Amino acid sequence: MADAKKGDTVVTVGTRKGLFIFHSKDRKRWKKRGPYFEGVEIRHAILDPAEGKTLYAGVTSEHWGPMVSRSTNLGGRWELGKEGPRFTKESGLTVTRIWQLQQGVDGSLYAGTEPAGLFRSENNGVTWSSVDSLNYMKGRDKWNPGGGGLCLHTILPYPKDVKRMLIGISAAGIFATNDGGDSWRMYGAGIREYGKQKFVDREDVSTCVHKMARDPTDPAIVYQQNHAGVFRRNRGDSRWSLMEKGLPIAKSTGGPFGFPMVAHPHDRGTAYLVPLVGDYNRVTPNGAMAVFRTTNGGKRWDRLSKGLPQKDAWFTVLRDGMRADDGDPAGVYVGTTTGQLYASRNDGDSWSLIADHLPQVQSVEAGTIGGR
Amino acid sequence: MVEGEMGVRVELPAGLREYAGGKGSFEVRASTLADAIREINAQHAGLAYRLLDDQGRMRRFVLVFVNEDPVAHLPPEDVRLKVGDTVRILPSVAGG
Repeated sequence: MADAKKGDTVVTVGTRKGLFIFHSKDRKRWKKRGPYFEGVEIRHAILDPAEGKTLYAGVTSEHWGPMVSRSTNLGGRWELGKEGPRFTKESGLTVTRIWQLQQGVDGSLYAGTEPAGLFRSENNGVTWSSVDSLNYMKGRDKWNPGGGGLCLHTILPYPKDVKRMLIGISAAGIFATNDGGDSWRMYGAGIREYGKQKFVDREDVSTCVHKMARDPTDPAIVYQQNHAGVFRRNRGDSRWSLMEKGLPIAKSTGGPFGFPMVAHPHDRGTAYLVPLVGDYNRVTPNGAMAVFRTTNGGKRWDRLSKGLPQKDAWFTVLRDGMRADDGDPAGVYVGTTTGQLYASRNDGDSWSLIADHLPQVQSVEAGTIGGR
Repeated sequence: MVEGEMGVRVELPAGLREYAGGKGSFEVRASTLADAIREINAQHAGLAYRLLDDQGRMRRFVLVFVNEDPVAHLPPEDVRLKVGDTVRILPSVAGG
């Protein structure tokens, strides 16, 4: 890790064929490490946000099972856990993929899996325990998979409150706990019915949540890219409300279609999306790539394209394919299914290409060496 | 030593050897495939996880042969082994 110093920005890029790490002192010139875990899918990898030293990678070997590996020297050496997360034998389920890794408020590590499961490790991913109250909850047999499988893809702890957590499962819906996982409630009210301008009234309805993010200044405000539109929910709201003005509308779903949802690290009401044509054609509209940004909590979205390809750019950005770093102004990073990694170091105003010809990008994460 | 519970050779593919201290083969005492996996896991913790799914069956893309016979589709505890048998573990050719 000799060429990486405290304060440097680290971008971890999980791909269909290995993990790539980019790091930079000034976010202009980048150095690449990897690929690590060659030939193996890395669905998600993170740098511990608190201490900014430990990398965790969800390593999905189709042959030898999913594991979480750990490195404390920026990929120089990886420690393999002994076992990955497991369902009980009685459940009839088998974990096939690590979809999401997330540091808990208390320093624990959470993993979201396929089939949908939430697991917790208190020893940096060496061993795992199942969050049984969610994994074996009544009604699980009615959960249906989305196009990517039945995956638990979003884990949002609530800052400073270890008992609160919000999770997203495609396509079972949104679940939240306020009591440390003793019980879970669904939050589906207000989501658009597919292809209509009608909205579900009940909370306990499965919707196809694609990604959620908390507002950085008020974590009770949550933004959501759903299969059927883009929504926000404020503290105390009884339902989700639309935040779609300025976004391209998919003719199939009735709302904007896409996968990622990223909140700005500091600025209230600022978030980012990458809209696609629709669920029937999951590519950037008109072959022109754009990131859309709101700076007022979704009252209006603006198209950002300076430095992004505006011709013959036909690709998908997957749900974890975009993230922001902690910088001021923020760095925003977007990885594509055709192997490009774009970066902005000015809140998204302009973009440049960091890497090309990577394997299909599954996830992008950004962090700072030494932590926040 | 009890007859029928020793002298089984287990061969690992290259992709698994990094989890077995670089070793490619083991001599174990085992009367079933489940015993053999337990034996090598006792020497290299975590190897069983690599081979068995959460239900204790062989993982979907793992092939196992006892001598020339494919047995991955069987519950490992039902696969009988005898002295002199060779268990070969291989990754199936799959993926893209």
